[in-house]
Amino acid sequence: MAEEFEPKIVAFLCKWCSSAGSDLAGVSRMQYPPNVVPIQVMCSGSVSPLYIFNAFKKGADGVLVSGCHPGDCHYIEGNYYARRRIALVKELLEFVGLEPERFQMSWVSAAEGTKYTEVIKDFVDVLKPLGPQSHLRREQ
Amino acid sequence: MDKILEKKSLTNWLKKLTGYDVYAPVLKDDLWNYEIISDGDNLELDYLNTVQAPKKFIFPQVENLLDFGSSDEGTPEITETLPQPNPTVILGVRPCDGKAVILQDLVFGGEFTDPYYWNRRNATYLVGLTCNTPPSPNCFCTSVDGSPHSQEGLDILLTDLGTKYFVEALTDKGRKLVSAGQALFKAPTAKDKKDLEQVKTGSEKKIKRQIKNLKKVPPKLKDMFDSPLWDEEAMSCLRCGICTFLCPTCHCFDISDEVTSSLPLKGHRIRTWDTCQFPDFTMHSSGHNPRPDKASRLRQRMLHKFQYFVEIHKKYQCTGCGRCVSLCPVGIDIIEVLDKVRDYG
Amino acid sequence: MVNLDELKKEAKRVLEDGKVKYVIGYVKSKASNMAAPAFVTDPEEIENLIWDPTCVQNLTKFIVDEKKRKAQQKKPDTRPVAVVSKGCDSRAINVLLQEKYIERDDVFILGVACEDLGVIDEKKLAQKLKGKRFGELTFDDKKNVVATTTDGTVKVPVKEVLAERCVECQANTPLIYDVFLGEEDRRKPDAPFASVEKMESLSNKERGAFWQEQLSKCVRCYACRSTCPMCYCDECVVDTINFAVTPDTTAQEKALRIKWIERASTKSENFGYHLVRAIHLVGRCIDCGECERVCPLDIPIRFLNKKLEKTAKELFDYEPGMDTEKPALVASFKDEDPEEFIR
Repeated sequence: MAEEFEPKIVAFLCKWCSSAGSDLAGVSRMQYPPNVVPIQVMCSGSVSPLYIFNAFKKGADGVLVSGCHPGDCHYIEGNYYARRRIALVKELLEFVGLEPERFQMSWVSAAEGTKYTEVIKDFVDVLKPLGPQSHLRREQ
Repeated sequence: MDKILEKKSLTNWLKKLTGYDVYAPVLKDDLWNYEIISDGDNLELDYLNTVQAPKKFIFPQVENLLDFGSSDEGTPEITETLPQPNPTVILGVRPCDGKAVILQDLVFGGEFTDPYYWNRRNATYLVGLTCNTPPSPNCFCTSVDGSPHSQEGLDILLTDLGTKYFVEALTDKGRKLVSAGQALFKAPTAKDKKDLEQVKTGSEKKIKRQIKNLKKVPPKLKDMFDSPLWDEEAMSCLRCGICTFLCPTCHCFDISDEVTSSLPLKGHRIRTWDTCQFPDFTMHSSGHNPRPDKASRLRQRMLHKFQYFVEIHKKYQCTGCGRCVSLCPVGIDIIEVLDKVRDYG
Repeated sequence: MVNLDELKKEAKRVLEDGKVKYVIGYVKSKASNMAAPAFVTDPEEIENLIWDPTCVQNLTKFIVDEKKRKAQQKKPDTRPVAVVSKGCDSRAINVLLQEKYIERDDVFILGVACEDLGVIDEKKLAQKLKGKRFGELTFDDKKNVVATTTDGTVKVPVKEVLAERCVECQANTPLIYDVFLGEEDRRKPDAPFASVEKMESLSNKERGAFWQEQLSKCVRCYACRSTCPMCYCDECVVDTINFAVTPDTTAQEKALRIKWIERASTKSENFGYHLVRAIHLVGRCIDCGECERVCPLDIPIRFLNKKLEKTAKELFDYEPGMDTEKPALVASFKDEDPEEFIR
């Protein structure tokens, strides 16, 4: 039997909410797919589009940017900037032919361990049928 | 070895060239570029000059020099990756681009031969085509010791005589290609030879743009290093790399390491085209840049082509293809600049 | 119609008055059918200036150049430079003002109206002439291009060979100027994003294949970046050396510099470059189309910018270069910004 495709997800998680949320999921021993490479950032607003393009270039099958809910940003308004920027990056990536499902954003607070596991579960489910991402990936 | 090939036999000849990759100018999205062709059926050999010179086949923009990595025990491993290209025929090389290959040979040959270059060079067969009419309005080959029927660097020169090509096989490689098509080639008659001469002399007269008295330029350039002329000429320069990247004779490169994996360590050392027109070309690691502005970079392009190269190799490093003139987004015109240099002071 | 003599008169006046350092305008080029930029310091040479649909270039780039030059001089001449500016070019000046890259006093704008025309696309003209080689281009009173070809002269209406961006133009009249020439005739295009919409209607897969093919052609000459008036950073992510390097920068700092985009002109690196270029111009690109015009390999890069321009308009009701007082697109937000895509 052929081995099932396991997508690799790069997740940029803000230090104050989403990363804490993923920690909560961990310490609470919640089960979720081990497909994520979490990268802690100070704020979702500090995620440069370059990080996203490069994650795809270096072989990510999906990229997630996750931050605090609107109004909850540790830096007051970083996630509002992120919301705008990510919307634009998403449109651009779709326009050059990347499957829209491969790039997602979520709001996960420090208390939402369960939501975090759900986000990841669903993301993996969406990515599996798509297969490996080769559109932006570096040639081997 | 002179031969005659009927135009309708061209396809048959190309079909006989088994084992070769054959490239010819193809019009795609309004641009002429060399593309691999499976047969010569839709071949049109009345093309404007290609955007990119055949330089890219012999000196590609990206050349993998070696692969590096480390073994499980941590010992470094290095593998040289010399190219072993298929024999490649490039059909329809303009004589200026053929001559450019000879100029590149001077750079990559001589005391230190470059195996990457020569492996590709030796596998490349250049089949030229006389320019009965100039393929670009900015052709000026006759001003830089070239001609629209120059044989330099070519293995075969074809000349269009209406319904047939006059075929001049100039090297052993060229004769090998001709003998592959044997029966298709006939001996030329006296009339064919006369026609050939006529086409060739006619072609030279059609070159409109000229640099008069170019030989006065190299000695003059010597004293013009600090001339304000460069500032004036470079005002409109955008500092892009069009003139040099598309030049058939520009050969500067950069070597960099691309790490593809850090654990275990893996990567390639690659050689890529570089250009004196980029600000970071001469940037030192101290932060000092000896060519800090556009003027000094434009000057470098002129000086390299018409002073340094002439001093070292006794040849202009320009073949008059006109690409840098036609494609410059702001119309910087090497012909005009050299005219000004000649008449300066 | 813009009266050329009037343009020359105005240019000459500011130059003779010593009000400006030099005049940036268009002159006939020997090398190409399109006009070349000219930097006129001698009032006598104002005579050479031209204004016609071959004046394609966005001269705003040279205002950026001037600022950089001034920064390197010990005692710079602080007078403004005069620049001939079309509607689209004036939007570029607006963006530079909005970003406070230049001051209003740095430029003296000779605004010219494109009226019902614009500039021509040389490639479209070549298609119209069915591959015939053409020499000199002139323009007659009836708004035709008159091209000399090997089989005599051919007349083509300018409207049929207008650059795509002129067809979709949203500012045919300068928005900011010191002297205005021509007639104010603000037209609105019927379909300002028609070309992008055509691309959008393709399937994701088709678009992917399209960009794979197009971006593989890129030789990374960076002409698109170099000609763009908005690409004024001293240091670009694609450059091999960091310009922030000073004699105090340690070897370790240099070695640790991240190479976001490698030097090789391979497909993935070309994608990286063009995506970064596009996203860096979002809310700033005013669609002068220069990037696409200068591309020697004819890569339709304008699409990428146009797509983002459209997105910015639709999602955030933002139009670059229209209002210098508004905060920049990605440096601001609204509470009601769309977030349906966020979980």
